[in-house]
Amino acid sequence: MNKVIEAKNLTKIYGKKAAAFTALKNINLSIYEGESVAIVGKSGSGKSTLMHILALLDRPTKGEILIDGKNASKLKNKELNKLRNERFGFVFQQFFMNANDTVLENVLLPLKIAKLGRKKRKKEALEALKIVDLESKVKNKATDLSGGQKQRVCIARAIVNQPQVIFADEPTGNLDSATGDKITDLLFDLNKKHGVTLIIVTHDEDLAKLCNRVVRISDGKIISDQTVRKDLKKAASKKRETEAARVKKANERK
Amino acid sequence: MKLFDLIKTANHNLFRSKTRTFLTILAVFIGSFTIILSNAINSGVNDFIDKQVATIGGDSFIEVFPSAMYDQVAGMMGGGNTSKVKEYNENTGGFMGANISNEDLEKMRKVDGVENLEIFHMLSTEYMRLEGADKKYDVSVEYFPEGNFNVDLSAGRMTSNDSGEGEIIINEDWLKPFGLDSAKDALGKTVEVAVKQTAKCYVTPNNCIASAKAKIVGVQAPGVLTMDGDLHINQILDNKLYSLSMENVPESSVQNYIAVGNVDPAKMDKIREEFKKIGYDFITVSDAVSMIRTFFDAILVVFNIFGGIALLAAAIGIINTLFMSVQERTREIGLEKALGMGKGKIFLEFSIEAILLGFWGSALGILISMIIGYSVNAVAHETFLADFPTFELVIFNPLNMTIITLIIMAIAFVAGTLPARKASKKDPINALRYE
Ligand SMILES: Nc1ncnc2c1ncn2[C@@H]1O[C@H](COP(=O)(O)OP(=O)(O)O)[C@@H](O)[C@H]1O
Ligand SMILES: [Mg+2]
Repeated sequence: MNKVIEAKNLTKIYGKKAAAFTALKNINLSIYEGESVAIVGKSGSGKSTLMHILALLDRPTKGEILIDGKNASKLKNKELNKLRNERFGFVFQQFFMNANDTVLENVLLPLKIAKLGRKKRKKEALEALKIVDLESKVKNKATDLSGGQKQRVCIARAIVNQPQVIFADEPTGNLDSATGDKITDLLFDLNKKHGVTLIIVTHDEDLAKLCNRVVRISDGKIISDQTVRKDLKKAASKKRETEAARVKKANERK
Repeated sequence: MKLFDLIKTANHNLFRSKTRTFLTILAVFIGSFTIILSNAINSGVNDFIDKQVATIGGDSFIEVFPSAMYDQVAGMMGGGNTSKVKEYNENTGGFMGANISNEDLEKMRKVDGVENLEIFHMLSTEYMRLEGADKKYDVSVEYFPEGNFNVDLSAGRMTSNDSGEGEIIINEDWLKPFGLDSAKDALGKTVEVAVKQTAKCYVTPNNCIASAKAKIVGVQAPGVLTMDGDLHINQILDNKLYSLSMENVPESSVQNYIAVGNVDPAKMDKIREEFKKIGYDFITVSDAVSMIRTFFDAILVVFNIFGGIALLAAAIGIINTLFMSVQERTREIGLEKALGMGKGKIFLEFSIEAILLGFWGSALGILISMIIGYSVNAVAHETFLADFPTFELVIFNPLNMTIITLIIMAIAFVAGTLPARKASKKDPINALRYE
């Protein structure tokens, strides 16, 4: 199975000298194509820090990240930006939307950054909004939406660039359980139907159970790493189909 | 992000906090308005001076006098140094200097670039009246060689000597006294111009005025910079009046110390060099009006400094506004960075916002100063400028306005670099953690 992201000997130290705080210690972790990985741990255990480093949003103090076997630490900022823009999707606990923009504008932001043309990006944003069932809210201001709807817009934004991996940091943390379930369904749907690799940071055990792999961390160290179910093959073959579609789309954009 | 999208986004972000943006634009506006309007007025004044200079000969017309007189003449025309006390010199004469000899006149005429040169007759005219009419009016007339020199005419033509008769150009002020309805009606009318015969007056004080006839061939359009407000006549009339006034005056008392003529302006410096060798110097109309120009230019500089100070204050306003904006949009910046937007693009996004503040302020300055400028100009032409139809109080030069706008945009850009740098340096992680 293909390794999408591999972390080798990751150490992250915040601050310097006396104020230095080691948030991650010697983490070794490989994420495989089509997996749904839960990163579970108490608050302050280093989950978000790990996710940020895996997602190339932050650089480790020691150790390296390999993307498709290539060392990401050697990449320039520009290349990292491009990689994130094309391969990754992000969902955050606090949504992070531009409140004054319309739902559509929020969703097509990654494509705008990718310098996609006006018509194409609108078309693809509409498709993404269809998947999260929010076509009717296209023209609404982001502020006018409920929490669940906001998170669905964020998911649409995360999938609009046809990403290989979606990183979700406490995606249901700010939602009631019924709404949270809907969001969870959406994410796992993407994983199962479209073969998108999911990396979910959570302290919610129920959400973690739905993932086929659970990585537990405590005080910056991995204390357990269990692959729960083995239906990855199916997801992986699905993934290959969507990967082919993604490459095709990417070629069309050029 | 594409540049066009960046500009659109920046403009959109700008008008999110409308009041703050408006106030910043207002600050830029105060500076740009001051500079644009004062430049427009300066252009208007200079254009009017140019037009006037052209009517009295432009750069081709020269007034020649002995070198020793330069300071006196230049002083009268608004230059030179009249306060110098000089030792008397028999050869160069007293205050007014020595006469121009025929020999020297011939030498000067032969200098390359000199088109014509004539002794200037200072005529002491008494009056002018329409032929056959009773009413006499004070008048003063002057002859300058026709050449590049042309009068701004509202009717008729320039004088010439081809007709063999005396010719005169009056100005519109004379129409009413002469009982004429329009400039056209004046053409072809004959007038009598009278001079005092100085020598005769010693003998018969009550009978020493003689007159010569002249045909009105043109009517001059109103202006301010006529040569002393004197009416222009042709050489035939000039010679007639001069010989009448100089009848019986001994040769030694004749004062011919000024010559006037036309030259090729391109050869001005060379001509001056040659004239100096012969012992003469000259001033041009441009020399004479340079002082007026200097005065208006100095006013412009003062206003530009005011505008500049206002712009400096506006630049600080831009810095402040954008710092607030960066602070407010920390998360948005973090998100954009997380989604793959580069440092440079973030810097550009905020820089463009700064440039747009400058642009809108400047555009508003152009708009308002045009509205005010043209309105005042229209009112002025109804009232105190009614006599000067060719005087445009304001002239908005597109090139000037473009340059001013670009400079303001550049200032805004420089001001914006500080907040833009701060924005571009934001770490996406910290920005997204920021509560
Ligand atoms: N920028 C930072 N500077 C210093 N300490 C930090 C910084 N970011 C996170 N930390 C610390 O690192 C630890 C792990 O943080 P985080 O990864 O956010 O934990 P989690 O997401 O598991 O709650 C926490 O103790 C937090 O206080
Ligand atoms: Mg966290």
